Amino acid sequence: MSPLELGFWSFPVLLVMIFLRVPIGLAMFLCGIGGLYFSTGGSAMFMAKLKSETYSTFSSYSLTIIPMFLLMGQFATLSGMSTALFKAAESWLGHRRGGVAMAAVGACAGFGAICGSSLATAATMSKVALPELRRYGYSGGFSTATLAAGGTLGILIPPSVILVIYAILTEQNIAKLFAAAFIPGLLAAAGYMITISLYVRRHPDAAGTREPTPYAERFSALIDVWPVLLVFGLVVGGIYLGWFTPTEGAAVGAAGTAAIALARRALSWSRLQESIIATAQNTAMIFFIILGAALYNGFLALSQVPQELSAWVVGQGFSAWTVLTLILLFYLVFGCLMDSLSMILLTIPIFFPVVSLLDFGMSPEHMAIWFGILVLIVVEVGLITPPVGMNLFIINVMDRETPISETYKAVLWFVTSDIVRVVLLVLFPSITLFLLY
Amino acid sequence: MAVLATRLARLMALLGGAVLLVLIAITCVSVLGRGLNTFGHSALLGDLAPGLAEALLASGVGAVTGDFEIVEAGIAFAIFAFLPICQLSAGHATVDIFTDQLPAAVNRVLVAVCEVALTLVVLLIAWRLFEGLQGKYRNGETTFLLQFPVWWAYGASFAASVIAGLIALYAAGVRLSGLLTGRDDLSMGGMQQ
Repeated sequence: MSPLELGFWSFPVLLVMIFLRVPIGLAMFLCGIGGLYFSTGGSAMFMAKLKSETYSTFSSYSLTIIPMFLLMGQFATLSGMSTALFKAAESWLGHRRGGVAMAAVGACAGFGAICGSSLATAATMSKVALPELRRYGYSGGFSTATLAAGGTLGILIPPSVILVIYAILTEQNIAKLFAAAFIPGLLAAAGYMITISLYVRRHPDAAGTREPTPYAERFSALIDVWPVLLVFGLVVGGIYLGWFTPTEGAAVGAAGTAAIALARRALSWSRLQESIIATAQNTAMIFFIILGAALYNGFLALSQVPQELSAWVVGQGFSAWTVLTLILLFYLVFGCLMDSLSMILLTIPIFFPVVSLLDFGMSPEHMAIWFGILVLIVVEVGLITPPVGMNLFIINVMDRETPISETYKAVLWFVTSDIVRVVLLVLFPSITLFLLY
Repeated sequence: MAVLATRLARLMALLGGAVLLVLIAITCVSVLGRGLNTFGHSALLGDLAPGLAEALLASGVGAVTGDFEIVEAGIAFAIFAFLPICQLSAGHATVDIFTDQLPAAVNRVLVAVCEVALTLVVLLIAWRLFEGLQGKYRNGETTFLLQFPVWWAYGASFAASVIAGLIALYAAGVRLSGLLTGRDDLSMGGMQQ
């Protein structure tokens, strides 16, 4: 077999391995070295590559952002800011129809601004908001679906671990990607709130009501969230304005959230240890996938599959919009099966060269950023689509009383809102690119 | 044995975490130093308080020299040190939706095969890293700014990868004996993010 044929055949092999529960990083690693072995006719190449590849992947300065952001998320979780955020949002919105659910979404958006992970946001906010939702008579499935959807704001609103990976894979500017993610992130929160108000109109018994909170209390609750604004402004603002590199921003953010947690006396010795252990597990998992992807993509590049595929797509004369739609649909479907990070690492090296040859009437840089935000959103939809939406599982574990089928029913409303948003962002790229002009 | 392996994995993770915290601190000091240095050079401070500006610059405050070289060397060690706890807690990302339909016995075989493959890969990585380490030692390469030998960084990472290899061997042993006895002390894990 020629390297090109090997490259094409490696996809089904890789997928079968992944579906047989081989850890995704391991599957990519094995396909990578297997492919290199067969296409170069020996082990010399990958053996030489591995002398430095593991070290250089693990020592990458830009990837250092990942453990730092993960630790920042751990500290943010400990700091109890989730409670302050929810209280503030709840005091302003709680008396409206569906207001407590809207407040949960608002608090998720706020938490997403200091945490770059969806699962952490969903889990943390559920702990705070689920009991309150139930107390005010919100139905089980509606409450869990709201929090599952709200959790995706953790990654849609910068800082975002997935965007960091995308930026490195496509050699784009992380600061610009973060800036571009901002408006779509706010749109997501707004979309979820609209969804909630539509839902309670359709199901009036799904939500209770309460008396409005006095304004004095509302303002004092609002003041309590200033540390979140400070850390978010410092990290994302500082990166955006070029005060520091994204890695430095992540370090400042980790130190900032640690300071908040310390000031609120929430950071004990044993909690610090648990934060580190959790960060260690997630970091190792992510870097092992990155390493596998580096080897697999090295083999793919050698096999020329991405170039051949892009040449073929262009040769077929498909319209740019058709190709984009197909790619986004692919992500929607696969997102139901695989976690977002693995999907990005696996597919961007193949799809990005294809997309960058197409003409969407914008500069290559703008196209890359716009495409990145679209991909970010569609892979995140996978977190809340049945059957394997991870956010749904996390929340299901936290609320044993609600059968997951109830959550499935209600979450489809939020999935619809996501799809509407993706269509809007596809049709009007300037929404995403607005902050870059 | 189980207690020993878990303790060792936790210890490595905490060691890596301590390094991560130090790197965060160094980076923050560097950012702060650079900020103060820029401030000292700024026209505003020069006009308003020339004495303060001079004192600030004379104090030699500035970015930590070669901070990113320390970060790169340290983070590589930290990530190698993080590997064992991830493997022991079955933390690597997998897709379970199809295999969940299969009988438990089949799943045990799949998990054991994967664990052995993972262990071989970890050992391969450690072995190749050792080759890389020898190469860096022989050619005497140093970093650009701090001029410390690159093999130091390789050495630290290699040490962590050896422990990762040992714990991987233990995990593979547990899975294999679990296959034979039908009992499994390690958790089955699942997809995480």
